[in-house]
Order: sequence, then structure tokens, then C-alpha cells
Amino acid sequence: MTPPTATPADAPATAPTAAPVQATVVDRIDRVAEDVVALTLRGTGGPLAPWEPGAHIDLRLPNWLTRQYSLCGDPADRDTYRVAVRHDRLSRGGSEYVHRFLRRDRPLPVSLPRNHFPLLPAPRYLFVAGGIGITPVLPMLRAAVRAGVPANLLYVGPSPDAMPFAAELRAALGDMVRVVATRSEGRPDLGALAAELDEDSLVYCCGPAPLLAAAAQVFPAQRLYTERFRPLARTFGPDTAFEVLCRRSGRTVAVPSDESMLDALTHAGHPLPAGCREGVCGSCELAVAEGEVEHRDDLGAPEGRMYPCVSRARSPRLVVDL
Amino acid sequence: MTHAATRIRSVGPREVRARLGLPDAMTASKKTDRLDEHFRRFIAHSPFLTMATADAEGRADCSPRGDYPGFVKVLDDRTLAIPDRPGNKIADSFGNLAENDGVGLLFLVPGMRETLRVNGRARATDEPDVLTRMEVEGRRPVLAVVVEVTEVYFHCGRALIRSRLWDPASRALADELPSVGEVAVEQYGLDVPPEVLERRLQDGYRKLY
Repeated sequence: MTPPTATPADAPATAPTAAPVQATVVDRIDRVAEDVVALTLRGTGGPLAPWEPGAHIDLRLPNWLTRQYSLCGDPADRDTYRVAVRHDRLSRGGSEYVHRFLRRDRPLPVSLPRNHFPLLPAPRYLFVAGGIGITPVLPMLRAAVRAGVPANLLYVGPSPDAMPFAAELRAALGDMVRVVATRSEGRPDLGALAAELDEDSLVYCCGPAPLLAAAAQVFPAQRLYTERFRPLARTFGPDTAFEVLCRRSGRTVAVPSDESMLDALTHAGHPLPAGCREGVCGSCELAVAEGEVEHRDDLGAPEGRMYPCVSRARSPRLVVDL
Repeated sequence: MTHAATRIRSVGPREVRARLGLPDAMTASKKTDRLDEHFRRFIAHSPFLTMATADAEGRADCSPRGDYPGFVKVLDDRTLAIPDRPGNKIADSFGNLAENDGVGLLFLVPGMRETLRVNGRARATDEPDVLTRMEVEGRRPVLAVVVEVTEVYFHCGRALIRSRLWDPASRALADELPSVGEVAVEQYGLDVPPEVLERRLQDGYRKLY
């Protein structure tokens, strides 16, 4: 018999790629609301990469899952990152792992920070946060206070017990913060808030889809910045097959109509970092040199870039930087 | 001419017990029917299990299941669910479970010598909330096996120690086997180069969900 072409027994094609990671250990796990824990992650290889308010990182969990969480600590602290994680009842294994099985002092590799929700300079801010959507807003609010820029926060959640950091925020910032518990008080009147909004205010909103939809109805679009946990429900044309030429490897990969471009590339041996697979996290960002992209993400891809987890091609072929 | 299985002499249950002796009290009492934190932690880190089922006549079958660690979802302390990922579509397990709901599971954690045994009663489900938790690459399985746990316990590590299962040097054993392509060519008498079959199989393996 000829020498065996041993079947590579491990490493399915979906194994994570060697994207840059930072080594951390889980320094603290604190319960900050009834279904939310805050993790303090201490860098073990020197100072952690810098970040700006609105940034998020990927956690590479021990169960091989990668999940994105907004940084909610202090950007000036280069020794630790802080994130807060809500336990999703329909967890596919990320938040459940963090809540039930993650342990103190265990290593937890994380990505470099990415920011799709940057805080732009403005003379005043209105922040609107829903539930765990408070996390990216916390450092934004602190930055505004530190810079002496007038800022207000409307923080909406079902009940005070389910709203992380609500009590601390009220204690530290007093009337700047309005906490609305919808179960006892009903939904806040965003329209009234919009009517009082100063001409020069920027509005930053992060939370569940209904809150973002309500905000989009009342605040002027050019002054409203949002971050979504889940993609906006939209309909697209039928998925069609197309080809991707990987410029660096010279390989052409066929993307069938029933597969995402991300999966097709991964299965063809071009694994990309993958996070949400819903076009909201930005992990799989890819440079496109030629071809017409049908963008389906909720991030707004920069010029010449795309998110192949959801986006596809309008032209028969795309040329990408792989 | 009869084959060996019919000629080799049998030992009855009383004789077996006489030869083996009795388990110690702790071993005998370790079985429970609740998935406590330790069992749940083991399942949350297990990427692989074998699932044994049998039909109404007792014809038995055992199949492998594998995915990312924690692919088996613990729904509560008496219930777990195993996703049914695309495979050969023979569905032996589902066929058996329709006739006989008894199931035996053996969970492995790479590097861990002890294994987890879970026995119970199982059935197929398409409950959306269960399937949603099993999504991988944006695809949810079409079916899952729900197991009501009747017995759960850790199995001692002697078998894995003796087998050197997690010793990296043991992987050299695979080098002594022909490739699946070569085996298929010989077993089915195919007139195809083994590399072609091998490549086809590899292409099939690229798509896992």
C-alpha cells in the first residue's frame, strides 16, 4: 500500500485563525445585576492595548467559542479590561459559559479592541442605554464628565435588580442619570426627550432592538449613533452563487447560494476570524479590491471593506485581500 | 463451520459475579439521577460522546457525536439535549429510539482520564428554543435528541490510562492504517484512484454544518 494520506483528525476547517490575541487572566468575577456578571481581566504580557470609549473585544472562551463584549472599564487603566456579560436564556454557549463555568485566575485570551461606536466630539451628549447596552455607554459618560462636557443618561431596564451599575451611576452622577424601570414605570417618553434636545447634542444609543427602533423614530438621524446586539430585521434579494478570487493566495473560491462567503472561505482553507456571524461585531472585516459588494451588515462597512459573514456579491466575482 | 462467537463458551451472570467479586460500597452508591454542578461542568467541556441505543428486539447500535465543548445542552438537572448534525442520514439512533427509548451516553473530555456515563430515556425533538441554543455557523440543527436522565456517574480512568488515549505518541497508531480512500477501493472493489476518493471525502469534511 502507498503511504497513508492521514486524515487530519483534529482541526476542522472552522478552527479559529491566528488573529492577534492578548493574554489575560480572569482577575475578578462580580455579580452586578441579577443576570449580569462583570469580568475583570488582567493582562499578563505587559500593558494591554489602548482603547477608546465604545470599543469592544472578543473573548476566546475555553469552550472554543468567541464572543464580543463592550469594554466598560476605564481606558486609562492599561492593566485590566472590564466587560459585563448578561446570561442569555437561549445562550448558544457563550454567556452560559461565562456565567456558570468561567473561573477566577484562569487564562482568557482576548482580541485587540475594535471600535465601531466611537464617541465623536460634541458640545453636549445624550446617552440612551437599554439593559446590558449600558456597557459601552459607561466609559463614554465618564469621558464626557472628565472633559467637562454636559451629558445626560437615560437608562432603561425591566427592574432595578436587572440593571447593572444603575445604583452606582445614580450615586456618582445624581441628576445627570435618569433610571427608568419599565416593569413599574412603563416605557419612557423618548419623544419628549427629543423635543427638549439641544440643537448641538449628539445622541448615543445602545440596547435591545425595540429601544433602538424607538430612538430612530424620534431623534434626528444625523445626530443619532447606535450600536446593536442583534441585526436589524431586513429583507434582501435571494442569495446567489458567486466567486471570490483571493488575491494573495491566487485561489478562486466558489460561494454557493446556500452558504455565507465567510463559511465558503473558511471551508476552502481561508479561515477568517468570526464572531457574531450576524454583521454586528466586525470580526471578519475583509478588504475588497474589485467587484460590487451587497452590504448586509449593521456596522456600515468602510470604503473598500466588507463583512463576509452576511454580505455577498452583486457582481459575479469579488477580488479580496486573502 | 461456525464462527468463533457461536463456539466460544459463555459464562452466566452468577458465575460472572463470582469471578469479579462485589464493587465497594462507594462505587456502588455513586450513581445518581441528578446533573449536579460537577456533571454539568464535565458536559460543558466535553466535545465528544458516544450514544448507544437498541431497537425493540435489543439489536444495539453505538454512534459518535462531536462538536465544540458544551455542544450538549443541559436543560435542567434531569434533562439534556444532543444536537443532530448532518451525517450519513441513516438515522439508526432515531429509528431505535422510536422503538426503544433507552439510551447510554459516554462523554469524553480530551486530556481527562475519567469519563462521564449518562443513561436515560430519549426521544427526538424539534423544539425551537432547544434548537436555537445549538446554532453553529448560523445553522441550527433540524432535530435534537432529548434525554431524561435516570443514571449519571463518573467512570474511573483505568481504561483511558491503559489505552494511553490522550498520549500524543499514541497518534502514531493512525499512521499504520491505510487511508479511508484505500480501504474503500479494496472493500468495494472500486476502479478509482484512492486519492480521488480521499479528496472527495476531504471536500465533504469541509462542510460540517
